[in-house]
Amino acid sequence: MLPGTAYVRDRCVTGIHGMDEILRGGVPYGSTVLVAGTCGCGKTTMGMEFLVYGARLGEACAHFTATEPSVKLLENVRQYNFFDIGLVDSGLINVFDMDVLNDWLGLNKSTFDKDDINALVKAITDIVNTIGVTRLVIDSVTTLCYKIPSDQLIRDFLFTLGKSLATLGCTTLLVAEITSKTGGANYSSFGVEEAISDGIVILGDVERMGHLMRYIQIVKMRGTNHSRARYNIELTPAGLMMTPMLKWGAQ
Amino acid sequence: MDVDPRIGDILKALSINSSVQVRHGANNAFDIIGSVVRPLLLEFGLPGIYISASRAAIEIIDALMEEGIDPSPMHFIDLVSTSTIGGTDVSHTNISFIDSPVMLEAIMLRTMYFQRARPDEQMFVILDSVHALSIYNEPRMLAEYIHTFVNTFRHRNTLSILLTIPDQVAPEVLSNMDLYCTELIDRGDLIIG
Repeated sequence: MLPGTAYVRDRCVTGIHGMDEILRGGVPYGSTVLVAGTCGCGKTTMGMEFLVYGARLGEACAHFTATEPSVKLLENVRQYNFFDIGLVDSGLINVFDMDVLNDWLGLNKSTFDKDDINALVKAITDIVNTIGVTRLVIDSVTTLCYKIPSDQLIRDFLFTLGKSLATLGCTTLLVAEITSKTGGANYSSFGVEEAISDGIVILGDVERMGHLMRYIQIVKMRGTNHSRARYNIELTPAGLMMTPMLKWGAQ
Repeated sequence: MDVDPRIGDILKALSINSSVQVRHGANNAFDIIGSVVRPLLLEFGLPGIYISASRAAIEIIDALMEEGIDPSPMHFIDLVSTSTIGGTDVSHTNISFIDSPVMLEAIMLRTMYFQRARPDEQMFVILDSVHALSIYNEPRMLAEYIHTFVNTFRHRNTLSILLTIPDQVAPEVLSNMDLYCTELIDRGDLIIG
């Protein structure tokens, strides 16, 4: 890594062990970051830890859950020592069920058109604006995009959402599900999410002699001279922990 | 278990960020373990992490307790017992298990996790043993791991002790231990007592 330049963008410190170090200080404020990964590799844990750290600093945080009901999500994250349900009770972490939001917007249909997408973006940004959210997680954007029938509309949706949230000064993690087959050239299910994101973080598994080992890799992060190496991760009671993957074991 | 007091004397003279290679033979492994652990726990009062790759952690605990050494200030990371169904069914709360000795980074993460819980304490880490890890890992990867292991704990101001039977380890691994460890204690097949 080369020494830094004189100008350094303000950072949103993630509080995740090792993450801020490999990002050289954190995620640049207002970025929209795609967190793409295979099942069980720690995407939701990472998103929640990012919010908890912000909430402990007094920031208003929001989590939109589309893959599981909020009750189940909260039950699952309560096993972690870093999580404090008091942050939810006190309104610092606001958890929204996408199903409930869609019902409320009259969007309980199988496919979304342009107007539906605009309504959804407006609802999310209104919530962010009203509460003053500075950290947002949408888990998962893949589930939302399944209802959007074309790549162009998905691109419009994510671009408009990212732009609106950045204008509000909100740093956003868009969780995306990828299959192990998707890995390689594409970092997302639809192939368009990655193009409009300021950052791409990949979580996945490496098999070593029949054992799956989780890893994380920052492929892209605009505004910071980050590491692009692969790191092993473990989901500990204290949250995500990472260490550089052995070079001879990275294949 | 016969304790060699000279090992304690050598350890006493070291700084906390030292990395010590302890070579021993096939017949004196338990004597060497006792000779290393006893001064660390009973004389220096240091808490520590014991990575057991040669034999199940419970076996080490039992052997130490028989010698009147309370192993409770140590957390054991056991790489052996998951290879047996029922092997992880133990009552000790200071043992955690890793699925396989090939998951070298997981060992590092687990030790870092336990250190994170006690950030202000000086600690030691014992790797028992390099020759056991060499059964499962390619020499070039194990050599890289030794390099990372030693440097990580030196950076974290942690005393690291690597046990090995040298003739069971590939030359490139052994030469890495010689290069990066700051101290060598060689007891060969010496029977103590």
